[in-house]
Amino acid sequence: MSHIHIPDGILPLWLVALGWVIIVGWIALATKMASAEELRRRVPLVGAMAALMLVGMTTEIIPIAYHVNLTVLAGILLGPWLSVITALVVNVMLALVGHGGTTVIGLNSVVIALEMVVGWALFGQLVRLLGRRRAGMSAAIATVLALALSTTLLVAIVAAGGAPATGRESGAFDPTTLSFHNPFGGGVVANVIATKEQPAAVPVLSVTRFATMVYALGSIGWLLEALIIAQIVGFIARVRPGLVFEGAPAQPVRAPLGDEGVHH
Amino acid sequence: MDISLVDRAATTGVSALHRTAPAAKLAATALVLGAVIVSTNVLVVATIAMGLFSVVLGQRLKWLPLLVLSLYPGIFAALYAFAAWTGGLWASLIVFKAVTSALAVLLLMFTTPYPQVFAPIQRLMPAVIGDSLLMTYRSLFLLLEKFSHTLTAARLRAGVVGVNPIKSAATVTRSLGGVLLYSIDLSQRTHDIMHLRGYDGRLVVSPMPSASVGVDRFVVVLAAAVAAFALAWRIWFPVLNPYAWLPLAASAAVLVIVAAARLLKGDSA
Amino acid sequence: MSQVHPHIHREPSADEVVRVSCVRHRYEDGTEVALCGLDVVALKGQRIAVLGPNGSGKTTLLYHLLGLLRSEEGEVRVFGADPAREWKSVRKRIGVVLQNVDEQILAPSVLDDVAFSPRQYGVPEPEVRTMVSAALQRLGIEHLALRVPHNLSGGEKRKVALAGALVMDPELLVLDEPFEGLDPASRDELIELIGEHAHKGGTVIMSTHDIDTVPEFADYCYVLSGGGAIVLEGTPHEVFAQVGTLAAGNIRPPLLAEMFTRLKGLDASAPEPALTVDAAAEALARWKREGC
Repeated sequence: MSHIHIPDGILPLWLVALGWVIIVGWIALATKMASAEELRRRVPLVGAMAALMLVGMTTEIIPIAYHVNLTVLAGILLGPWLSVITALVVNVMLALVGHGGTTVIGLNSVVIALEMVVGWALFGQLVRLLGRRRAGMSAAIATVLALALSTTLLVAIVAAGGAPATGRESGAFDPTTLSFHNPFGGGVVANVIATKEQPAAVPVLSVTRFATMVYALGSIGWLLEALIIAQIVGFIARVRPGLVFEGAPAQPVRAPLGDEGVHH
Repeated sequence: MDISLVDRAATTGVSALHRTAPAAKLAATALVLGAVIVSTNVLVVATIAMGLFSVVLGQRLKWLPLLVLSLYPGIFAALYAFAAWTGGLWASLIVFKAVTSALAVLLLMFTTPYPQVFAPIQRLMPAVIGDSLLMTYRSLFLLLEKFSHTLTAARLRAGVVGVNPIKSAATVTRSLGGVLLYSIDLSQRTHDIMHLRGYDGRLVVSPMPSASVGVDRFVVVLAAAVAAFALAWRIWFPVLNPYAWLPLAASAAVLVIVAAARLLKGDSA
Repeated sequence: MSQVHPHIHREPSADEVVRVSCVRHRYEDGTEVALCGLDVVALKGQRIAVLGPNGSGKTTLLYHLLGLLRSEEGEVRVFGADPAREWKSVRKRIGVVLQNVDEQILAPSVLDDVAFSPRQYGVPEPEVRTMVSAALQRLGIEHLALRVPHNLSGGEKRKVALAGALVMDPELLVLDEPFEGLDPASRDELIELIGEHAHKGGTVIMSTHDIDTVPEFADYCYVLSGGGAIVLEGTPHEVFAQVGTLAAGNIRPPLLAEMFTRLKGLDASAPEPALTVDAAAEALARWKREGC
C-alpha cells in the first residue's frame, strides 16, 4: 500500500470542499494551458493511461496486499497538465467500483495529481543529471520522492482535519456549529452513548501515530513501486526512447502497419 | 477484477432498479451519501446500511461480491480509526460510514451501466473530462483483455508453478510493460479513428429511457426520507439518541424478511 | 462479374472517385513504403480489391486514401481533394472500417457508437435516431442497440463498426480486410451488402488477402508485391491469368485459377479459367460434353 485512499465520512466538510475547489481550479488551469485542439487530440491518450493505472491499481502484484499505482509512470508520459485530468478520471472510476471515497474524490485526486506531476518533474531533472542510460534509476528515485511527498500531504490533510472530524465539523447542516457553543459535549462518542450529561472523552487523533503507520506501511510500498517503475521505464527507454525522453505528453509513434514495408 | 464484475452486473441485470432512470438513481445515491456523511451516530449509519442491503437482497442482486467490495474502504477507514483510537464505538462509526457510503455507490453501479451514470451529468462537466471518462471505460476493457493475454503468455513462458511472490511480481511487471506500449499505440489508433469518424470534441451518451416514472419518483422520495431521517437525527440527537434502537430494529426486521423471502424463492448469490 | 473494364482510367474522368499515384511514406522507425508502379484509380460504382501478401503495403495505401498518412511525393486525390490536408471537406462522403474493429468502437454502447458520426456532424437528435435504426436494420443488428461493445462477439463487433461506417450513407466505403473473422454466412451477407452499395452508385475499396473470394465481390483488382510495388491491375480474370507475375510477387492465385492453368498445361483443349465455383462447374461440364 504505497498510497492510501481517503474514505468517505472521516474528514471535516471544509476540507472535503477545499479538495474539490483545488482540483476544479487545477483542471481549469490545465485546460487553459493546453489548447482545446491539443486536448481533443489527447483524449485517447488520457483514456489509455487512466485505464492502464486502473489495471495496475486493481491487479495484485504480490498476492493479498500490494498493487501498483503507476502514477509516476503515467505522469512521465502525460506531463503536468494531462496528469491532473487523468488523476481525476482515475479517482472517479475507483470510487465508482467500490474503492470508496466518492465525496472525497477531490482530495484524493489532488494527492494523485501531485504524485504524477512531482514524479514527472523529478524524472526530467534526474535524467538531465544522471544521463539517459540511467533512466530506470531516475524513475526509481522520482517515484520514491513523489510517493514520500504525497504521503506527507496525506498526513497533513488528516492533521488539518483535526480530532473530532467525524463529529461536529463533518455535518453540513448542523445549526449548533453556528452558535460557537459546542453542544456535543465530548464529541461523537457522547452521541453514541447518548449521555448528554456525562460526556465522554474527545477522541484525540494522534497525528504521530497516524504518520508512523502510513510511513511504515508506505515506505515498503514506495520501494516496491520504485522497483517496478524502474523496470518498466528502463524497458521503454530501450525499446521506445522517444516516449520518455522527448518531453511529455508522449508522442505515440505510428508503427508500420501490420508487418508492412521494407527496412532500409 | 472488480471493474468487469461491476460492469457485468450493471449491463446484464434485469432488476426493477436496473430499469429505473439513471438520473433518479443518481439523485437517490447522492441523498443517501449525504445522509451517511452527516450522521454521527453509529446506529443510524447501521440502520441505513441495513436498509441498503435489504434493497440489494430484494432486487436479487449478487449480494456477496457487492458486500465484499463495499468492505474494501473499511480497511482504509480502520487505519484512520486506529490512529485516533478512543474506543470501539468511535472506530466502528468511522468504519461504518466508509462501508455504508461504498454500499450506496455500489448499489448504483451494480444496477446502472457506467456510461449511464454520466449521461445525466455530462452536460455539467467540461467536455474533456466527460470524454476522458468515457474513453477510459472503452480503453479499460481493451487493456484488460490484452493484459490477461500477456500475463497468461508470460506465465506459460516463465513456467511459474505455485506461488512464488518474486517471480509472480516479475511476470506482472513484464506484462505491464507490454501493456503500456500497447496502450500508447492504442491511443494513436483511437485518435486516428476518432479523426476519421469526425470527432469534434464531445462524446454523447443517449440517456436510457425510464421504465416507469412512478418507480423513479418512489426511489427518490425514499432516499429523501433517509436523508431527512439522518438530518433530523443530527439536529435533535439529544432527544432522539435514546431511541436509536427503534429505527435499527425496524431496518433489521425488514432485512430479515427480505432475506427470508429471497431464500424461500431460491437464492442465487 | 466477368465484364472487362476498358482501361479508361489512364486519363482522369468525371467518374473518378479516388486516384493514388506513386506515394511514398517513411515511418518514424525508418521503414519506407513506396506505392509505385501503376496508379490506383477507383471509379463511381466500382468495387476495387487491393491484393497482396502480408507486408506488401495494402494498409499503407488505404491510410493514404484516408489522409492518415501524408505522402512526401506523388499524389492522392479523393473526390478531387487531398485527404491529408482537406479531410474535413470529404469525410462525410467516406465510410471506413479498419482492421481492428474492437478498437474502432468508440462509444460505450452500440447505439451511441453508430450515432457517433452524425452527432459529431451536428445532425439533430431525432434524425440521428432514424439514421441509426436504418443502419442497424441494414446489418440486421437492431437487437444489439443497447448492448455494451466489449460483450459482443467478433462478428457482431465487425457489424457494429460497419453500421457506424454506413450510417452517413457514404459514397465511398473503405474496408481493410473486411472478411477477417467472419463466419461464412456473415461473409455472404457482407458480399451482398458491398454489391448493393456499388449497385446504388457507391464505390468500395477493400484490401484483402482472401484471394479465393475476390472474383465474387470485386470488379477490379490491384496487386501489390513486397514493399508496395503495384505490379498488376485488371479485372479478376485478367489479373489471375497472370500466374507468372503473381508467383513472382509471392501471391498464390485462387485455387480455381491455378487448377485451370495446370489443366491447360496437361491438356491444351481444357477450358479457359473460370473463377467462381458455379462458372467452373459449368465450364468443366461443357468441356466433358464436348468430349474433352
